[in-house]
Amino acid sequence: MRIEQAVKRAIKPALVRVSGLSKQYVQRGAFSRRKFVIHAVRDVDLEIQPQCLTALMGESGSGKSTLARCLAMLERPDKGEIWFEGAEISRGRGKELASLRPKIQMVFQDSAGTLNPRFSAAEIISEPLEIQRRCGGDKLRKRACELMEEVGLSPDWADRRPLEFSGGQRQRLAIARAIALQPAFLILDESLSKLDLITQAQILQLLSDLQTSHDLTYLLICHDLTLVKRVADFVMVMQNGEIVEQGTRQEVLNSPQHVHTRHLLSSVRDLESTFGDFQQGAGS
Amino acid sequence: MLNNKLILAVVSLLLLQSAIVFAGFVAPYDPALQNRDLPFVPPTRIHFVDARGHWHLRPFIYQWVPLPQSVYEYQESGQREYPIYFLVRSNESTNAGVRTQFHLFGVEAPAQIFLAGSDNYGRDQFSRILFGGRISLGAGLLATGISLLLGLLLGAVSGFHGKWVDEPVMRLAELFLVLPWLYLLLAVRAFLPLHIGPAQTFFLLVAVIGTIGWARPARLIRGIVLSAKSRNYVLASRGFGASNGYILRRHILPHTYGVLLTQAALLIPQYVIAEVTLSFFGLGLSEPMPSWGNLLANLQQYSVLVSYWWMFAPALALILVSLGYFTVANAIQERLQSASA
Amino acid sequence: MKYLERRMVHGALLLVSVSVLCFLFTDLAPGNFFDEMKLNPQISSDTVASLRSQYGLDRPLPVRYGRWVHSVMKGEWGYSFAYNSPVRGLILLRAPNTLLLTGCATLIAWLIAVPLGVWTASRAGGWPDRVCMSGTSFFIAVPEMVIVFGLLYFSIRTHALPAGGMFSRGFEQFGFAEKMIDLAKHLIIPVLTLVLASLPILVRHVRASMIEVLNAPFMAAARGHGISRSRVLFGYALPAGANPLISLFGLSLAGLLSGSLLVEVITGWPGLGPLLLEASVSRDLYVVIGVVMSSTVFMIMGNLLADALLVAVDPRMRTE
Repeated sequence: MRIEQAVKRAIKPALVRVSGLSKQYVQRGAFSRRKFVIHAVRDVDLEIQPQCLTALMGESGSGKSTLARCLAMLERPDKGEIWFEGAEISRGRGKELASLRPKIQMVFQDSAGTLNPRFSAAEIISEPLEIQRRCGGDKLRKRACELMEEVGLSPDWADRRPLEFSGGQRQRLAIARAIALQPAFLILDESLSKLDLITQAQILQLLSDLQTSHDLTYLLICHDLTLVKRVADFVMVMQNGEIVEQGTRQEVLNSPQHVHTRHLLSSVRDLESTFGDFQQGAGS
Repeated sequence: MLNNKLILAVVSLLLLQSAIVFAGFVAPYDPALQNRDLPFVPPTRIHFVDARGHWHLRPFIYQWVPLPQSVYEYQESGQREYPIYFLVRSNESTNAGVRTQFHLFGVEAPAQIFLAGSDNYGRDQFSRILFGGRISLGAGLLATGISLLLGLLLGAVSGFHGKWVDEPVMRLAELFLVLPWLYLLLAVRAFLPLHIGPAQTFFLLVAVIGTIGWARPARLIRGIVLSAKSRNYVLASRGFGASNGYILRRHILPHTYGVLLTQAALLIPQYVIAEVTLSFFGLGLSEPMPSWGNLLANLQQYSVLVSYWWMFAPALALILVSLGYFTVANAIQERLQSASA
Repeated sequence: MKYLERRMVHGALLLVSVSVLCFLFTDLAPGNFFDEMKLNPQISSDTVASLRSQYGLDRPLPVRYGRWVHSVMKGEWGYSFAYNSPVRGLILLRAPNTLLLTGCATLIAWLIAVPLGVWTASRAGGWPDRVCMSGTSFFIAVPEMVIVFGLLYFSIRTHALPAGGMFSRGFEQFGFAEKMIDLAKHLIIPVLTLVLASLPILVRHVRASMIEVLNAPFMAAARGHGISRSRVLFGYALPAGANPLISLFGLSLAGLLSGSLLVEVITGWPGLGPLLLEASVSRDLYVVIGVVMSSTVFMIMGNLLADALLVAVDPRMRTE
């Protein structure tokens, strides 16, 4: 699998290219006149290879989510450019971007929050189709049921509300919704963070299957190193709004260049060795 | 939740409002029909047993006869029993576009059945209350509709579009909320043309009452829209390319239904009372059109207040409306709270 | 402190906006006092015209507004056409009557509502609570107009109390004690009406607030410490649940000058209510504006006072 992808990489150009991306937020204190400027993303350059899984790692507050939202066209950056399949997507009017939107979709972390609790599962999944007017009426429901099956949910549950599903099933719903428009690029913002390990494994399997069947490119944002070790083809590390390291999984994890990366890796190694002893102790 | 009080309230409201809509049918007489011979008669007594001790299956009444040498005092004339008939043919009336000559009940002429007594012109109060309800209750309902519509529009726009629209609209709302409501109502109504026809007065009242009360619903709606706007599923929708209109329609508006319903149940009785107050002061519907307000205005004369207790009857209708809608509002609020918890 | 200052500036701005709005509106309104005069055939239109210019009604709106603001600053609040006297005198004559009425009613209502609300909340679900809830549910729905007529009916029937007005005949000749008693007798019906109209809502709010507080964990801790029941209720629970009640109190204060219009008109109490009614109907411009502005001032001050009390009472408000 990996060799094929490596070969593909050599032939195809990057799916997404970012150069000089910056975004800042201004926050005002509630009653004072002071303003806080938060530089969420600073002068970021990166590339995302097609049909691979790129992991974006970093601590909370390092700017990962902001970067993701800019890539997903949910926010406009202040500076810099984003190129997707050769087209610049960070500037430009709504109408011009509208045709590109379906190709980049996002799955959020908080599944309960991103699914309208009053909608039924079928309505949630078919919402993108409805908005983009891909089909109407009965076809919407049919398509929703097909998608449900694809992500491993029974279509009998099409009329249930999101809160009637478990956390893992909700993520499946969110994924089904995200692939409804047949995107090329799927951004997963900490989508696996709130799941238990077994469910995580199942969702990962689903994602892997979907990647093959739909030719997807993933950007996985997470802070779980073990997860990254298992699935990532490429790794990027963010700190304080900047990308401090990027490369293949081998390169970053085995020979990290940046201090911060080394710091991240070592803290996990400490944990592993500690727990490793603990497990051995319990076993004997 | 669906307890007895609520059922009672809903049923009574439905009955009362149907009676009012079909006032021409339910009321035995035209509200303008005068009987100068019988001013201020007390409510007609309904009998089943006659003076000779015989029991009748069909209830009947005796005619009121004025006592000689006294003013406004009556006794029943035991001479002839007038049975109460149902589905009586009498003067024509129009109810909700349906013309009919039938009335729910009535007695043979020249007797008259005054279920709630008569006023100083001998007009049947029961009929006047029913027809007055069309004005008072109708004004309350229409004005509530206007307030809610204005509140929904301004609140939604204000909450959705934020800063530039929000600031001025909320400042305006504050202005309306800081002015004492009744004073505002009075002043606004009084400064508009006074001597206009009844239909115009009615719509003017509705417009004034409804427009003044937009601020509170608007604030509530704005709060809901603001909180709904920041939900993550709205963000997700934008990611699919949803337009503002779609988001408002599909994601935000459904949240407002609960508040709108509760506000409606709370505002209707308030606005009915507003119309009643205005008509009471002579700033609303005036004679000869009946409104609960100008019916109650008779009570301002102490002689009427003390001697003719049946003139209080419109107050009963008013209390029923208030109680009914208040109970409904409570039930809705409880339902909403338990649903969101 | 900054919070309060901002609220005061806010209030002042509100006042100015209200005054502008009032002027604008009365200007837009068709018809004025002198139009009614025109209908009288005995008064020639020349007289009307000269009267109008005498009162400055023929000047443009900004000029009239400016002159009004100017005179308000000097302490004169305009001139009443109907009474032919300065507005200020009229208002100052009537306002204390209204305040006497609403002041008594508000005081009594709160003095009853707080203990009653706390008591029923502490025995939530018991029969006193259920009786109280049913009673308040009923009385909330009864309109003020009905209450006042009901009370008048009974008082006239039983000849127990004077049937309205503020003074009996020959009031001036009464001794001080007699005057007080006479005043009190005249106060009973209007005050009782206002109390009955506002009490149900107040009791419900106090009760609701108390119930929320009583269920909090710190209450169980206090009781566990062995503190007496009434001390717990009034010393711990009430202060904790006081915030919404303080806002409500502010609202009560805010409505002191305007909440009694209906009662005053029906019982013939010589307060601001009847004055406004007459002035509105006869288009007595400056009286209307004067009364509306006075009650708006009260509204704004009431809200400000509530804000100030909140800041003073609740330490959480001070740390922003």
